[in-house]
Amino acid sequence: MKRDIPEAAMADVVLQLRQLGISYGPRTADERHWILRDLDLSVREGEFVTVMGSSGAGKSTLLNLVAQTLQPSAGQIAFRGEVVGGADMRPNPGSSRQIGYVTQDDNLLPWRTVWDNVMFPLTLAGKPSPLEVDRARHLIDRVGLSQWTQHFPHQLSGGMRKRASLARTLAYNPPVVLMDEPFGALDAETRAQLQSDLLALWASEKKTILFVTHDINEAIALGDRIIVLSGSPGRIVLERRIDIDRPRDPELIFKAPTFAGHYDAVRDCLRSACQP
Amino acid sequence: MTHRRLWTDRIVLACVILMAWEMVGRLRGAYWISSPTLVLERIWTLVLNGDLWFHGRFTIGEALGGFLLGAIPGCAVAMALRRHPFSRAAFVGVAAIGYAIPKTALVPLFILWLGVGPGAKVALVGAAIFFIVFYSTLDGVDAVDQKLVLSARVFGATESQLLRHVVWPAVIPYVFGGLRVAVPYAIAGAIVGEIISSNRGLGYLAQYGATDFDTTLVFVSLVTVMFIVLSVSAALSRIQKRLLRWQTNPSQDARTVGA
Repeated sequence: MKRDIPEAAMADVVLQLRQLGISYGPRTADERHWILRDLDLSVREGEFVTVMGSSGAGKSTLLNLVAQTLQPSAGQIAFRGEVVGGADMRPNPGSSRQIGYVTQDDNLLPWRTVWDNVMFPLTLAGKPSPLEVDRARHLIDRVGLSQWTQHFPHQLSGGMRKRASLARTLAYNPPVVLMDEPFGALDAETRAQLQSDLLALWASEKKTILFVTHDINEAIALGDRIIVLSGSPGRIVLERRIDIDRPRDPELIFKAPTFAGHYDAVRDCLRSACQP
Repeated sequence: MTHRRLWTDRIVLACVILMAWEMVGRLRGAYWISSPTLVLERIWTLVLNGDLWFHGRFTIGEALGGFLLGAIPGCAVAMALRRHPFSRAAFVGVAAIGYAIPKTALVPLFILWLGVGPGAKVALVGAAIFFIVFYSTLDGVDAVDQKLVLSARVFGATESQLLRHVVWPAVIPYVFGGLRVAVPYAIAGAIVGEIISSNRGLGYLAQYGATDFDTTLVFVSLVTVMFIVLSVSAALSRIQKRLLRWQTNPSQDARTVGA
């Protein structure tokens, strides 16, 4: 495994996965089928990490573990140095209200309008402040749904539901955001627009993002660091810092001088030239 | 098919049946089957002298009381069992026995316990409705999309918020399916109770008419019951449509089975 980042250099780590693993099957560790095993990952405050990997490598599972919607079979999850989840703890998603999760399904509540869906996480914590309402309105505007706030999810297209789901997570403003191929189902134009918007939001709000994608261009355009999961059980087989200057233009990212080098390295790894 | 066409067809069919009834009544004599005109005349006199309201309100009261007595616990128990798989398995197993008992067979017991007054009828209706609403709510609870529940939990929803904002809205269509099936059973329970032992109510009216060889009175009672069931069902259906605006197509939903 290739690592070009020294572990000790990370003082301001916000999210840390220690020897994390998940498995199913028989009781003894050796006989079990491991989906992810011995996963170590440290994400710094404000870092944008993109996660890639062949299909079935456990990308979504990784996010589910971090969001605590799945119970790990081994290891620990620490948030700002404090262990919040692990094999010996009951998963308690949302306990910290620190993590936002844009899942692969939009998971909008079908009985709420777009507006009420976006406001849903905010209302859970009490009456939203005028500032939060403004922020939500601004985000809905930004994802191009201002004409659709009073519509129900079944009246929207798949791409629009996806954007509503994105606005919902960002409106609630968690410091760490997990995103599972949020732009996968969108047309190229909208995707480029949302990628720039996401980068702008990320830069202005100092969010920490863990972003799963299967698009190498996207991974390079957005991320500070790319990690590639592969194999069975899934492990991190490549970790690569993307040193392209910001602000970046996702549409023209291929013009960056080091782009080709990053692209080839990731592609080669994905073609399983890179075994653990 | 257009809405208008549907209704003209329905009205025409109803008229044909009524005319056939009227004709048979006139040709063969109204002694056994009465006739629509006789029934209407009698309804009119009974409405004027207040008898229909006197008997009707007992039946409606018993049905409504039993409906609430059965539907509210049925729904509440099913919701409460959501997070308790062991209690749930135990309860569902025992409930199957209760469901299997023909409720009419319980009438003598209810009369023994509660007397011949409205109490026994309310108990009978309640016993029948409970299971209908319980099972349909349980189906709804099982069908709640777990992904929605998990995503709401990631947002930090507490258990009561989950119940109120995610589980309950998802269960409502199923509860309504159960309620709509339950309406005819509620009226039927009240009527059966009255036929077995009572001195008032629409069931008593039908029974009295039959022992008196007054066929018209029997039909008056039947038509009134029909009218009550249809109007309650229509009202429920309106409420359901309003509440379930968010559904893609509520009228074709499999959840309203048998309604």
